Amino acid sequence: MDDDVERAARKVRDVEQAVSEHVTRSGPITGRASSPDGAVTVIGTPGGPPQQIAVSAAALRMGPQGLAAEIMRIAEKAQRTANSRLHQTLERVVDPRELTELGIERERDEDEFGWRR
Amino acid sequence: MAAVNEERMQATEQLQRELKSLTATVEHPNGLCTVTASPRGEIKALHLHPALLGQGPRAVGDVVTETVRLATNAAVQTSFNRMALALGDGMAIDVESIAGDSPFRSTWNPVVPPKSAAPEAPPERRPRRPVVEDPDEDAFFENPFGRR
Repeated sequence: MDDDVERAARKVRDVEQAVSEHVTRSGPITGRASSPDGAVTVIGTPGGPPQQIAVSAAALRMGPQGLAAEIMRIAEKAQRTANSRLHQTLERVVDPRELTELGIERERDEDEFGWRR
Repeated sequence: MAAVNEERMQATEQLQRELKSLTATVEHPNGLCTVTASPRGEIKALHLHPALLGQGPRAVGDVVTETVRLATNAAVQTSFNRMALALGDGMAIDVESIAGDSPFRSTWNPVVPPKSAAPEAPPERRPRRPVVEDPDEDAFFENPFGRR
């Protein structure tokens, strides 16, 4: 069992180093999403909580329930974008199927108007 | 032996199912925001108190960001705890050595109490009791610990 753990830890360290070198070159991986009217902007991270949630003064007029729903919607979108960017960055060093299994899925590209290519 | 392996497989699958659906709910220390989050930082539920919106857009963003972080940490910690219960402390420590410390170990007291806007009022001064002049007076029962 100890050998298995040691082997797994070594593999994780190797992949971590490869990933860390890759990310150092590419910069921090985040995903940004905003409401169409700019009411809520979220900078999401892959597999973690949002780095930043910003709310405009006009968004306060949505009321607590409407604003909460909008924050959830935009946060989900930002995390999907972050996951997709991480997937694209790591698929050169980690098997893409393993990334998808870990929940780091690649989105189909969307252009700025929301159309899928 | 095969039966033991089968049991282990079933326990592992059960654990995986539990971890997938696990969430934690946390209320911000100011009581104005409650978040339910998964260990992956997904917001599953968000409740904002109307009074929070009265504090301005910046406060809303900061409080929600902080509460999501606390809820995610709580969910990750619960995952570690479930794993330790199912697989034993030894295996949980092995997982920590691979995946990094649990939030409980790495972030002690994550919430910093806000600095009060106004300086705290000095405690009210109470006049000292007069010292009993006569040593034969029943001073012990007035001050059982002999403190003057």
